[in-house]
Amino acid sequence: MTHRVPLARRYLFGERRRALLSTAGVAVALLLVLILDGIFAGAMRQVTAYVRSSPAAVIVSQRGVRTMHMSNSALPADLAAQARAVEGVGWVAPIGFVSGVVGAQTGGRQLSYVIGYTPGQPGGPHHLVSGSAPVDGEAVIDQIAAVQLGLHIGDQVRVLGVWLQVSGLAEGGTSIVNTTTFVTAAELDRIHGPTISYLLVGAQPGTSATALRDTLTAALPDATVQTRAQFANQEAAVVADMSADVMRIMAIIGFAIALAVVCLTLFTATLARRRDYGIIKALGAGGGRLAGIVIAQAAWTITVALATSVALAFVVGRVVEAVAPTITIAIEPASVLRVAIGAAVIGAASALAPLRRVVAVDPASAFRRTS
Amino acid sequence: MTTTATTAVAAAALGTRGLSKTFGHGDLAVTAVRAVDLTVAPGEVVLVDGPSGSGKTTLLLMLGALLEPTAGSVIVDGDDIWALPERRRPSLRARHFGFVFQDFNLLGALSAAENVTLAANLAGTTGRAARELAAAALERVGLGHRTDFRPDQLSGGEKQRVAVARALVNNPAVILADEPTANLDAANGRQVARLLRALADDDHRAVIIVTHDNRLHDIADRILWLEDGALRQLDTLATDPVCHMAVTPADRPHIELDGTVWWFCSAGCRDEFAAAPARFTSPQKCVP
Repeated sequence: MTHRVPLARRYLFGERRRALLSTAGVAVALLLVLILDGIFAGAMRQVTAYVRSSPAAVIVSQRGVRTMHMSNSALPADLAAQARAVEGVGWVAPIGFVSGVVGAQTGGRQLSYVIGYTPGQPGGPHHLVSGSAPVDGEAVIDQIAAVQLGLHIGDQVRVLGVWLQVSGLAEGGTSIVNTTTFVTAAELDRIHGPTISYLLVGAQPGTSATALRDTLTAALPDATVQTRAQFANQEAAVVADMSADVMRIMAIIGFAIALAVVCLTLFTATLARRRDYGIIKALGAGGGRLAGIVIAQAAWTITVALATSVALAFVVGRVVEAVAPTITIAIEPASVLRVAIGAAVIGAASALAPLRRVVAVDPASAFRRTS
Repeated sequence: MTTTATTAVAAAALGTRGLSKTFGHGDLAVTAVRAVDLTVAPGEVVLVDGPSGSGKTTLLLMLGALLEPTAGSVIVDGDDIWALPERRRPSLRARHFGFVFQDFNLLGALSAAENVTLAANLAGTTGRAARELAAAALERVGLGHRTDFRPDQLSGGEKQRVAVARALVNNPAVILADEPTANLDAANGRQVARLLRALADDDHRAVIIVTHDNRLHDIADRILWLEDGALRQLDTLATDPVCHMAVTPADRPHIELDGTVWWFCSAGCRDEFAAAPARFTSPQKCVP
């Protein structure tokens, strides 16, 4: 049995107000990092939602083009036929892809990806919440965009400057940046001109995505062929490249705030308890035991703050999604792990200065009169 | 050191030879304790008295392995504690000494039981064994019913009894007490004094008390006078009727009044007494 008097915990939580303020301060700082990470992860999910939910094993794009986001791809009209002839190909679905604006008669406007596809084939909305797939003269819009633009099924929506009727509402296509609108390939050709941007390609049973990619790459040397996972990763990388610096700076600020709070808390707590440390040393504690008290206080502060911040992050995520549906906050295990590691580092760093103080405490100070 | 002296110190609970402490260097050097030879036997209560600034606490700190002497040795269990590696001294303090402080020095964040258990932990006893030792020590000082109380919920006397329990929980050979009754009223002071005497009588611990409190003279086997850093043994003491300091009659200012000799710590106190004796002569007598 090695249980000892939990001095660190008693010191930390004995003064509830100080403990509450310090753990709350650290928790809020870690929450900031978690939420930023969550917004980032949520944006990634949204941006890659169309690709990730596609049934395609492989996506073919213009040579050198690896994404839909921030890209323009144009393929020759006969490329789909060439692809269909390749061994291992199960099906080929050409889609048109244009960035533009959708608007309502009330004047509301939103940036949108407009995807032209052949109804009945892959490439359309992953899931229709209500209504039906579009025919010529119609469009399917995302349900969140519909709410924001005040549109319902049967209303007129202006797509790339042309008024179409809303035939259905899809989900998962609206992000903080834009929304996604689906029209027929023929309608997109009418509005925008003949457009084949990407080929969605399905594999025959028994053919793996990577094998199909390699075969198609050899067969279509003037195009870029990627597996769906590769394509999604490329999409995510584009978003990451655009926002990584900002995210990194915000994370550093969050961690810096947490570090400052823990440092200040431990340092003031250590100074306030300096006489106690002198007494404990006089009674026979070595430097290691005193150091253990400070380290345990740092560990407790960080652990409680981390648990609080993770719980708060889920709550804040729910609240934000309810208030602003275009923002998805995805608290992922990897993000929690990153924040936990960061918190452990700041806990260790914050303990350094108090450690030096307590190890240097003179045990004879226990004999100095306080009055 | 002679062979006889060495043997005596080795058999003692604690002994010192030529113990000195000088603070500062050169012209600024101040010698707080000079060449103190002291032997304290198991079961003996030794009081160290003396004027403020005479070096009493400095002596206590050196005895308790808390302040390194400039010269001399402190012998415990046959070893000079100041010749031991520094890393061994915390453990020695925990196991061999029990400390009782003037300000009680209990940790406010802990209950009475935890304060005592912590001392056991520091000596290497943990878990249930430590808690049982602490409970027994608190029972011994009459606080078995106050174990879960925090220091701010205890009276001054109770706090000092918890401190005594903490001092004895590791069964130390030597108890070092610094003004243990200074912050206590008469009743609590007497209770703590009796406790300290019992630690010597019942457990054969050596008890060394640094104090100005004359109430503790009753429990002492020996009273030592420390002045200008040097120790002197006193057979009898008198109390200055003006400032109530314990004084050695032999070489102090005095006045004979109506057949009674009154002793003073200084000529100032003597003159103040001489100006209005009636202010100071009743009810106590201050004869040696």
